[in-house]
Amino acid sequence: MKRAAAVKRRHVLAAAGGLAAVAAGLGRPAIAAMKTFRVGVLGVMSGPDAAWGLHNKFCAIATANMYNAVGGFEIGGEKYGIEVSAMDDQLDPKIAVAGAEKLTQEDGLRYVIGPNVDTTALSIKPVMERNKAIYIPYAFNKTLYTPPAENAILGMIASYEAGPIIYEYLIKTRGIKTIAFLAANEPDPLNQQQAGVAAAEKLGLDVLVKDATYQASATDFFPVVSPIVKKKPDLLVLSGVAPATAPLLIKAARELGYKGLLSTETAQDIKILTEGAGKYAEGFISVGGASTPEIRSAYMESFVKEYAKAAGQWDDEAGTKVYALEMVLHTIAKAGPQAIDDTSVYKAAIDSFTMPNPFLKSASTLQYVGQAYFGQKRQIGVPMVVNEVKDGSFQTLFVGSVA
Amino acid sequence: MRRFSALIGFALFAAVMLIAVPLALAGQGYWLTVLTTAALLAFGSLGVWLTFSIGRINIAQGAFALIGGYVVAILGTRYHVSFWLSLPLAVLIAAAVARLVGWPILRLRGVYFAMITLSLTEVASLAFLNGGSFTAGASGITSIPRPALLSSSLSIYLASALLLLIGIALAWRFAASPTGAVFRSLRQGEELAASLGIDVARYRLLAFVVSSGMGGAAGAMFAAFQQNIFPTSYTVNDSVNFMLYCFLGGLQSVAGPVVGAFLLVIAFQLLSVIQRFQALLYGIFMIAAMLFLPNGLMSLPQVLAARRHERDAVVPPR
Amino acid sequence: MAQILIDGSVLSASYALIALGITLIFSIMRLLNFAHGELFMIGAFMVYYVYGAWHLPFVLGLLIAALVPALIGACFEKFLFRRVMRVATREENSMLLAVGTAILLDNVALFLFGEEQHGVPETISGVLQIAGGFLPYQRLVVVVMSLALIALLLGFVQFSRPGRAMRALAQDRDAALLMGVDVDRTSMLGFAIGAGLAGLAGGLLVTIQGVNAGIGVDISIKAFIMIMIGGAGVVSGALLGALVLGFAESIGYSALPGSETYLLIFVALVLFLIIRPQGIMGHPWG
Repeated sequence: MKRAAAVKRRHVLAAAGGLAAVAAGLGRPAIAAMKTFRVGVLGVMSGPDAAWGLHNKFCAIATANMYNAVGGFEIGGEKYGIEVSAMDDQLDPKIAVAGAEKLTQEDGLRYVIGPNVDTTALSIKPVMERNKAIYIPYAFNKTLYTPPAENAILGMIASYEAGPIIYEYLIKTRGIKTIAFLAANEPDPLNQQQAGVAAAEKLGLDVLVKDATYQASATDFFPVVSPIVKKKPDLLVLSGVAPATAPLLIKAARELGYKGLLSTETAQDIKILTEGAGKYAEGFISVGGASTPEIRSAYMESFVKEYAKAAGQWDDEAGTKVYALEMVLHTIAKAGPQAIDDTSVYKAAIDSFTMPNPFLKSASTLQYVGQAYFGQKRQIGVPMVVNEVKDGSFQTLFVGSVA
Repeated sequence: MRRFSALIGFALFAAVMLIAVPLALAGQGYWLTVLTTAALLAFGSLGVWLTFSIGRINIAQGAFALIGGYVVAILGTRYHVSFWLSLPLAVLIAAAVARLVGWPILRLRGVYFAMITLSLTEVASLAFLNGGSFTAGASGITSIPRPALLSSSLSIYLASALLLLIGIALAWRFAASPTGAVFRSLRQGEELAASLGIDVARYRLLAFVVSSGMGGAAGAMFAAFQQNIFPTSYTVNDSVNFMLYCFLGGLQSVAGPVVGAFLLVIAFQLLSVIQRFQALLYGIFMIAAMLFLPNGLMSLPQVLAARRHERDAVVPPR
Repeated sequence: MAQILIDGSVLSASYALIALGITLIFSIMRLLNFAHGELFMIGAFMVYYVYGAWHLPFVLGLLIAALVPALIGACFEKFLFRRVMRVATREENSMLLAVGTAILLDNVALFLFGEEQHGVPETISGVLQIAGGFLPYQRLVVVVMSLALIALLLGFVQFSRPGRAMRALAQDRDAALLMGVDVDRTSMLGFAIGAGLAGLAGGLLVTIQGVNAGIGVDISIKAFIMIMIGGAGVVSGALLGALVLGFAESIGYSALPGSETYLLIFVALVLFLIIRPQGIMGHPWG
């Protein structure tokens, strides 16, 4: 019954979205008279990992629509309509390079959100640097952000930063003493596993399993999980686990009799978790965006609605990706209109930039961080929201922050 | 006569690639990148075409592209070997690996050969993934130095176009030579060829080794231009695509894989406007091509001619 | 140790359905069904919708998981493969068409079902403990149903009239034609049953592994490995292939870290094919 209501609401929203589109069409002349600021989104938008790129795309579209609806975004005393150009890189470096060339050269864009993984982000690095464009990857490879590279800004909290904060919290509140790590044999998860082990050792935790890995395409996890479960760690960390694999791993661990805590440092989707792992998902700890209802601001509420209009439905994982376009726009506004075409002006403004976080109820600031880790501020400093699954939905455990 | 017209076609293609395109697109990095990709993929497909000419379905080209890419990556980042030296080395190493594995697996035929070559792509990817510090495992090798002399999109494009033209000329020479005739006889029937005293094993290995060397070269070039390589840089999908370019272009002539690669790569870029449907259309396009042009796009003139002929025959002139 | 045996049995039983389906199509049509993994995925989604989302009985979901892929398979045979296999000058063309159908299904599925991972509630909860190993009842259900379905299929092929026609076709196409076997209809039926088996396997395994629109390729590769081990087009070979792969996975995953398991499986496969190119049970090729 509840489900039917939810479905119906989605239809209503879709219909409303259609109306809004018509209204936007009527309102075109007003927007056309304005200057436009164009931002690119490059990421994987088809195939099994399509969610990653699509979340970036729809977040950008939602932000753009919200500003366009109120007559544009103000830069240097003038209102700009915001236009989003999205390109699918299919997770293929070759296509990503062509896409980056198209966005930066053919379309003349200087700001691009994405790509989603190391392979594509590193492949477009030369293109972006040659065309002096800023890009905001959601990939953790350090060479993207450390000098001499200076055009990439990490779009989210790196999980190696989230790990220690979560472990410390769990030591204090749940008294964990032993820990085990499991990761897919892929660059991002492996890096996160290594960083997690180092952080845990530093915190004085007894690391029972350091280097257990599984093949990314594996679908049966009993054989992988059972030796770890036998060691009975207090906390089992699923380093960098993909949303699709998380429920399977959780279920396998619980079915094999695991009683301890389970956590990950990446963002997950509650629907996928509860659908795939059922009651076993209870108590699973993950990092989220500004999406849990109890911490959302009114602005975030309307963002979620706008997102659902564009994408058909809201998705929790997208909650970590709401910040990129907002930060780009406000940094340009601070730096002045020259920054629209000249990214060196933008880069100069990065160090001192701060703005209030519009997405959270409680007062907090958004700024650029990463000095300690990258040697320069090349990361969007978003609040770190840690969630726990309770009664089939996410509940915020605490909100931390990264220096 | 046919040879003559083919020669003219080649000269025209070369003129377009080396003169017209650079003149028209000099400042347009995007289209130059697209054409670079198409040229390199076409070059790799030419190799696959060679194995087709001996009647084998080769889905291993991704594996050799990966090997070529890693050779350039490891030599370039650790031993600071110039790209111009590591490129031929990449070709040689890919060819040597092909010689080693080719000897046993070429005894398999039909779908068995197709399946085992498909598995080879997985093997290569998994081997580099598990290669420890030598291959840097899952984190791949990044910051591969740019090749000397190739700093702009235009110079990269020209190098790729030149490589492709050399590849076409070689493949064409090959097809027209006595060796090419032997290859075709292998396709008709290995027993028959063997009964004529042809060293079947030697020739089929030759085709596979040359093919894989070309795959290695394509991978080496891609790695140098993208400046990174990962175990997942080439997957089964890439190997299948190399094969598809040949199929779709047509297996009868050297131009087939080139036409197939350019058409599909460019069509894909144009189709990207309707993003959410592009891969879907791709699949439909492929099935339609197989239904109506089962022998590739290059057979279009013949098919049309046959149609016309049929129509003329059915409707008697008044 | 007990756990390895349990895991291996569960995997083998469900893989056997996949391998039987692809080998059936291969033996009748001499065609490698590249879209086999995609049909598996569609079957899994059918159970997800019928049982997981609409809360109808699981068995009904399984039925639909068999019927929809079977229908797709029958259409493929009737409208695509039959025609192409008749007019193409090279036998490779049917394989390209098969690749085309795989790409098509992959994308139609992505469009219809979305890219998200889905799972279904257990049909039966609880975990059985045997000799120190854990066997959730759900996995036991999968094993039992797989074995029942395999027995059913073998009985059908062995004793029914259409089953005998299929075997005749697999042995010698021309002779079957002369003996009055309706080749077109039997091929279509064979393709449909093979596709249905893939769908059933998907429908059963979705209860353990969940499903997303991208799993097709991996399943197809597993199917290829199994028929290479056992020998293409031979029923006993398919069963043996499933047994070998299932246990190789369960032993490898628990003994070796990460992705070394499949590397070893592939290397062993290549070495094995050097010694025995036709697989364990297959007839010499060519």
